[in-house]
Amino acid sequence: MNLRALQAGDAEAWDEAFRWLWPVVLAVAQLRLQPFCPNDAEDVAIEALEDLVPKVREVKTVEELRPLAGSIAHHRAVSLLRERFAKKRGAGKIGRPDPGPEEGGADWPDPTADSPLAQLEQKELAQRIAQSLAELTPPLGEVLSDFFLHHLHYEEIARKHGLAVGSVGVYLQRGLAALRRIWRDNGK
Amino acid sequence: MSDQRFFDLAMKVIAQQATDAERAELDALLARQPELRAEFARLQGDVRLTKDALPLVDATRASASEFPAYARERLQTTVRQTLGRPQSPPLQASDEKHRKLQPGLLALPELAPSLPTGGEERRMMWRWRWLLGLVAATAVIAFVAIPLLRQAPAPLIQIAMLDPAGASRGADSKELALFQNTWNNASVDLFSTADKVRTWETNWPGNTRSTVAKILYDRPAGELRVLGRWKGKPFNKTWVVEQDLAAALDQAKAFVEQQTKD
Repeated sequence: MNLRALQAGDAEAWDEAFRWLWPVVLAVAQLRLQPFCPNDAEDVAIEALEDLVPKVREVKTVEELRPLAGSIAHHRAVSLLRERFAKKRGAGKIGRPDPGPEEGGADWPDPTADSPLAQLEQKELAQRIAQSLAELTPPLGEVLSDFFLHHLHYEEIARKHGLAVGSVGVYLQRGLAALRRIWRDNGK
Repeated sequence: MSDQRFFDLAMKVIAQQATDAERAELDALLARQPELRAEFARLQGDVRLTKDALPLVDATRASASEFPAYARERLQTTVRQTLGRPQSPPLQASDEKHRKLQPGLLALPELAPSLPTGGEERRMMWRWRWLLGLVAATAVIAFVAIPLLRQAPAPLIQIAMLDPAGASRGADSKELALFQNTWNNASVDLFSTADKVRTWETNWPGNTRSTVAKILYDRPAGELRVLGRWKGKPFNKTWVVEQDLAAALDQAKAFVEQQTKD
């Protein structure tokens, strides 16, 4: 993908970029919206790509586009949740609002509550994502995901990735340290 | 008890994967070494952070889903409106201005919205620009070249001098030099009789549309006569030559040029 072509508004280059970035923005939108308003995920993903277009002038490499797209989609999704959350509260339904037909009965929490991500500006968030992608090289990222997100046991992870059981903990320790450094200590 | 063992026990307990034995082992460890409680609390914080950030990082790695075709036009419109069409720098600099100046160029995709977009459209635009450029260049060349080609050839100048006494006293070389200076070394016919002059005056070249000017200096009469034809039309004028033949010749030359000008 040619960054200059993108910056010049080349339609073919953008077609390629949209195909490449779509899974990112959709996955991020779904990540935030799936429990509450899953039908809005595609719209948010498209809006995120629209927001990305003018920002292409500010990037130096094509690789920056993925984390930037993810960051934009995240902020878009969180804004939508805030808006919906505010509407529910504004309608006098403080506390647990009634779920809509698409909402599957999920609670509507304040999406900004208690999240270190919520405090980060779009650009800063994109930088942290990019740094995380760079540092969580295989199989480190996968081991972290399997343990913390997919709730696999040490033995299952070891089998899946062909590791010694004893090294799974080492990967987890290393991964946690990296994420702490990137997300809490601001990369220091 | 190694640090790694403590870490593994802490992870399993935090992730609720620990067996009763592992939980008891960690509790015993924390009781024996209270300084590890702070470390355990820190790990709990790290895990919360990881559970918050890791899904976003994971989602940014996604590559499975297919871009929906319905979104393409909307997004490409955003690209065009935001970044402009890929084109030559002048068009990029002031798209709207260029549209007004050269309506033919950009009207093409507007008139034919079904034209392919992207690279093919761009290539077509370039072809059109080349074509229009070629037409413009041809027009300029024609504009400049046609008048040059149509320009009339320089008139044929015939010069004669009537000097009945010339044969006996010899031609005045000074007067001949003046003629030749005025008309670029033209040859001068010398006549000693009026009859011969009349014959010369009525003897025009065969092509009646050719430009001819006959310059006759009638020395006895003190006259300089110009007889000419340009595009089939005759012209003539006579100057009295008193002292200054050179001035009369200049006037005659200017007259010929004026008469044979487009």
